[in-house]
Amino acid sequence: MRRLAPGPLVWLLAPLLAGTALGVVLQVTEPETRLYAAVSPGLLAGIAGLLGTLVFAAVTLIRRRAAAATAVAVRAAVAEAAADRLRFLMRLDHELKNPLTAIRAGLANIEQAEALAMTRTPADAALASVSAQANRITQLVGDLRKLADLETQEIEKAHVDLPSLLKEVQEAIGAIPGTSERVLRVSVPQAPWPLPSIEGDPDLLFIALQNLVANAVKFSAPRDTVEVRASEDGNWLLLEVADTGSGIPEDEIGTVWQELARGRAARSLPGTGIGLALVRVIVTRHGGQVAIRSRDGQGTVVSIRLPVPGRAGTAPAVSDPRHHGDLRGTAPF
Amino acid sequence: MHAIRRPGVGRQGARPVVILADDDEAITSNLAPFLERAGLTVHVASDGQAVLEQVERLDPDGCVLDVLMPRLDGREVLRRLRADGHWLPVVLLTQVGESAERAIALDEGADDYLNKPFDPHELLARLRAVMRRARPGRRPLSASPALRAGSLRMDRISRRAWLRDTELVLTPKAMLLLDYLLTHPDELMTRDRLLEVLWGFDFPVGTRAVDNRIAELRRALGDDPMRPEWIATVPGQGYRFMASVDEVL
Repeated sequence: MRRLAPGPLVWLLAPLLAGTALGVVLQVTEPETRLYAAVSPGLLAGIAGLLGTLVFAAVTLIRRRAAAATAVAVRAAVAEAAADRLRFLMRLDHELKNPLTAIRAGLANIEQAEALAMTRTPADAALASVSAQANRITQLVGDLRKLADLETQEIEKAHVDLPSLLKEVQEAIGAIPGTSERVLRVSVPQAPWPLPSIEGDPDLLFIALQNLVANAVKFSAPRDTVEVRASEDGNWLLLEVADTGSGIPEDEIGTVWQELARGRAARSLPGTGIGLALVRVIVTRHGGQVAIRSRDGQGTVVSIRLPVPGRAGTAPAVSDPRHHGDLRGTAPF
Repeated sequence: MHAIRRPGVGRQGARPVVILADDDEAITSNLAPFLERAGLTVHVASDGQAVLEQVERLDPDGCVLDVLMPRLDGREVLRRLRADGHWLPVVLLTQVGESAERAIALDEGADDYLNKPFDPHELLARLRAVMRRARPGRRPLSASPALRAGSLRMDRISRRAWLRDTELVLTPKAMLLLDYLLTHPDELMTRDRLLEVLWGFDFPVGTRAVDNRIAELRRALGDDPMRPEWIATVPGQGYRFMASVDEVL
């Protein structure tokens, strides 16, 4: 593709070369034409310039078309991959639902029969355990379903008051055990002007933020700091959730946004590995972007960019200086 | 027109008769004995055509209907039952949790619906609730196109509502919530259940989403939470729609 792309030199040379070529052609044609050419060098230069410009425009057009076709093909491939993943989630969900329904009905049957017969057997503990595991799988299937639903469901476009949303998140987080032992700071700028308002589904945005702050609490220790920061960045609203917790190992950073991704540090903690995938889906469905930076042993910052309505939606250049040893993982779109 | 009969009347004993329709034998073979032991007489149907035949033959008091079934799917079965004037209460077992589908389930006149994989005790509770609410020989509220509760009126087809002569301006979710409350009056609605109504799945966190939508409804209805006229808070549990509801004929 690059070879077809003419530089500024070609821009200048094309009309000149075309003019020369035209001159040569004129010299070998009839005397009358030569006369016209001699009388009007301006006309000749004009025709030559026009021809040169036409050739150049044709080349540029072909080049742009080819580039656009490539971009369309890439977008189509990405969309197809996303659709494939969604279809897989739906199929998995569908295939798990019936057996799980049967298992839960079977368990309820056994419990009911035992209750009626007023018997207790040594197998009761095993039964309780199987029941708990069936509920766990149910929860997992439900979580995967949520993700699939959110990818296709229409997103409400309500006016979202961010400061009050953050306040609600803060209140909800207060209920999570261990939060009171962290230093929790929420900063929402008021000067020089308040944050722009955004549009979206307040419930979903709440879930996204709540998940991130809960994660920050989960992967930090007492006396660690958790910060929630909101700011304006060009056409975007930037939300960051940062912690001085355990951080994410380098080899895990690329997979954190995937469904069911559970880091080594998370294996001993409760959760299904759906939280960040859910955050990613919610933010991208709102036309936003997510990114994560982390240093193993030092902490993590997750940032969410949401478009401010009414402003041209171009992504700002990444302004954060990239520190040595910083690890970044940007969610695939 | 379907014969008007009070549930359980003219049968041996007073056990309500229900049809359990699902093509997955693993589900029916486990669920049927559970429901039987809970005091119901259960007839299993493994496809949609069989449901229609059994309804004609047994005149049941209720039906649990899976959506995905061979020959006739659950949705089509429900449409035909309602078109034939059979108003027996139906709990639809949905496969997909999307709100659009839930709305359709309501429009088609299911009395309630449950997403698989459900807790069997929850199914039993819902089944009992819809049978208790059933108005023999009359269309259930959930199959009525328009409802009235005092000065509140709702056109369920166009999803619009009016308080006296003023049209209510509500978000789609609040409208869905109002629809569910109007079709299930005087029933304790736990926050979890209302979450499922709104989203089709349980929320990852808390139930604040329900409280916010209820607050939106109360604002629109001018309802004072301390002295409610429409929606009562049941402390620690959920909400209850207080006004009596009837269909607009």
